[in-house]
Amino acid sequence: MPIIHLEDVSKLYGFGDATTLALDEVSLDIEEGEFVAVMGPSGCGKSTLMNVIGLLDRPTHGVFTLHDKSAAKLSPNQSAKIRRDTIGFIFQSYNLLPKYTALENVALPLTYKGIPLTKRLKMASNILERVGMQSREYYLPSQLSGGQVQSVAIARALVNNPKLIIADEPTGNLDSAGSRLVMELLSEIHRMGNTILFVTHNPELTRYATRVVYMHDGTIVQDEHTAIGQMARTARRAMFKPVMTEEDDLAGVSALMKALPSKSSKRKKSNVKKPKSTSMRRRTAK
Amino acid sequence: MKSLTHGNIKTAVGSLRTTKWRSFLTMLGIIIGVASVITIVSIGQGVKQQVGQQVKHFGQDLITIRPGSATSGGIGTLANTSSGTLTSKDITAVQNTAGVGESAPLALVAGMVTASGGGIYRDGVVIAAGEDLPDMLNQSLAFGGFYTRDDTDSALAVLGKHAAEAMFSEDVPLGQSFTFRGQQFIVRGIFNEFNVPTLSNDVNFDNAIFIPYGMAQQLTNGTSSAYQILAKPSKPSGTDRAVTALQASLLRVHGDAHDFSVLKQNQTLATTNDILDLLTTLIAGVAAVSLLVGGIGIMNIMLVSVTERMHEIGIRKAVGATNRQILSQFMTEATVLSVTGGLIGIVLAYIGDLCLRLFTSLTPIISWQIVVLATGVSIAVGIIFGSAPAVKAARKDPISALRNE
Repeated sequence: MPIIHLEDVSKLYGFGDATTLALDEVSLDIEEGEFVAVMGPSGCGKSTLMNVIGLLDRPTHGVFTLHDKSAAKLSPNQSAKIRRDTIGFIFQSYNLLPKYTALENVALPLTYKGIPLTKRLKMASNILERVGMQSREYYLPSQLSGGQVQSVAIARALVNNPKLIIADEPTGNLDSAGSRLVMELLSEIHRMGNTILFVTHNPELTRYATRVVYMHDGTIVQDEHTAIGQMARTARRAMFKPVMTEEDDLAGVSALMKALPSKSSKRKKSNVKKPKSTSMRRRTAK
Repeated sequence: MKSLTHGNIKTAVGSLRTTKWRSFLTMLGIIIGVASVITIVSIGQGVKQQVGQQVKHFGQDLITIRPGSATSGGIGTLANTSSGTLTSKDITAVQNTAGVGESAPLALVAGMVTASGGGIYRDGVVIAAGEDLPDMLNQSLAFGGFYTRDDTDSALAVLGKHAAEAMFSEDVPLGQSFTFRGQQFIVRGIFNEFNVPTLSNDVNFDNAIFIPYGMAQQLTNGTSSAYQILAKPSKPSGTDRAVTALQASLLRVHGDAHDFSVLKQNQTLATTNDILDLLTTLIAGVAAVSLLVGGIGIMNIMLVSVTERMHEIGIRKAVGATNRQILSQFMTEATVLSVTGGLIGIVLAYIGDLCLRLFTSLTPIISWQIVVLATGVSIAVGIIFGSAPAVKAARKDPISALRNE
């Protein structure tokens, strides 16, 4: 039984002519223990997908179940409690509270669980030790390097011992050393049996993943299982065999977009469920 | 939940401390409102107590007969002091009324007072008073003695404390003399300072010269008339009966015309208290408007704060804060703001109280009830005016809140 099950999930923003289709009938199943990398050009709906799966956002259409619970039936408060107890978020811009110390930031999710102060600080301290940040417990985020801040953010995501970790470009603001630190931490968490979803632009980082999902214009165009330690094939193609022409460059088409199979061809792929020509029509009409 | 509330208060205090100047300005409305309401009410209560003490000093059983009719609870008692007079018939009637013990008429006598040194005394009045006056008012003399029933036609005088100081440049002017309407008077005694109520409509006894009533009648050929007769019942418990009897006998003398008033002390007190309560309520009401304005200030700043901290709200929601938890965080913050303002206001009121006691003759009384009320109102202001911004924060969609950097 997959812990995440999406079936024809769409997400629309705005009204009238300004309507944007951020997710276009996405279907996806993620099993427990998977380490999924989501790739795709900017604006293809990766973040929206993460927000929907993380119960921060609600799909406009479609079925989404998390741990066999339908997200549509959840009240905002129930969603908040599920976020608190079973999901850990890691953001590109860290999203730590700037006036709180590392320790207080990590203890924040425990506050909303009603755990007493001393106990939650102790728990937060233990988690910080796990991510190698115990010596920086009383530092403010502004006093830490990017990689260190993201480590604190990872500690915060882990403090409630969640089953699922959702990381939206966790290495986006980091240098290669910082990226390495963060990815090593995530892969360690994965080895302990957690399910991890992360968004990345860096094909190198697909080495850590067990599965790579490629998105384009709100749909999943390719879904590829890969061995840990090996770069995903499609990603590698984008990295090492750029088939960019001058026109592409002028039009701002990224290498990854070129490397991906075209949208019409992905409809034939077996692991993308229920291809529908209607979605194509909607897209062209837009 | 307890640890959450504790955490909220800590967060609130922390966020108020990071914006100290802004928080202080926000609290100013509440501070001024609370301080002024407490100060005004405490002045009112202080004056009330001073009047009450005065009445106790005179004795609850003192009966005052005044010309002109006054209804209890109205403000007529203050205005009607000098309109009309009480005649010697009235004085006799009061003396002869059953149930009435001692009585003392008080009459103002016009004329110039020339002290033995040649100086003219202008600061006070000459009052012709019955010999029972000190007993009636429980008033003691500093030196000498009051004239007695035997002295009623003698040229003797007793001086108020200030009058004695002003007329004769010596501490104890017993035996000194002064001239009044061509008659030389000898000073027989000097009063201690009178315990005069603050809002009394009586003449200032400390500046007055008291002469025997009979002597005054001689000087004025019997034309002087009393502006007030003080009386006491023969038994301490018989005040009400004495008042009824006095009403009846005076009505007979006045030919059934009700142009006089027989007042008990507590009646006088009630009248004064009514006026004081009215004034206190009025001014406190005006001051309370500033509490409302202060509340609106808090709401305004909380709305700004919610907008500024939208990203923080997003983070908190992303890590699992429920709407209710965000709501309580901002409500707590507004309440901490208003309660801190209220507490500062209470401290200021106490400082104001001290200053008033030191630099004026007022003795304000800050009762615990008003302090509790002020604290309660502060909490209420925080909750009422903090709720709209807090609801706005709580209902914010986590995604759009997170995007808000």
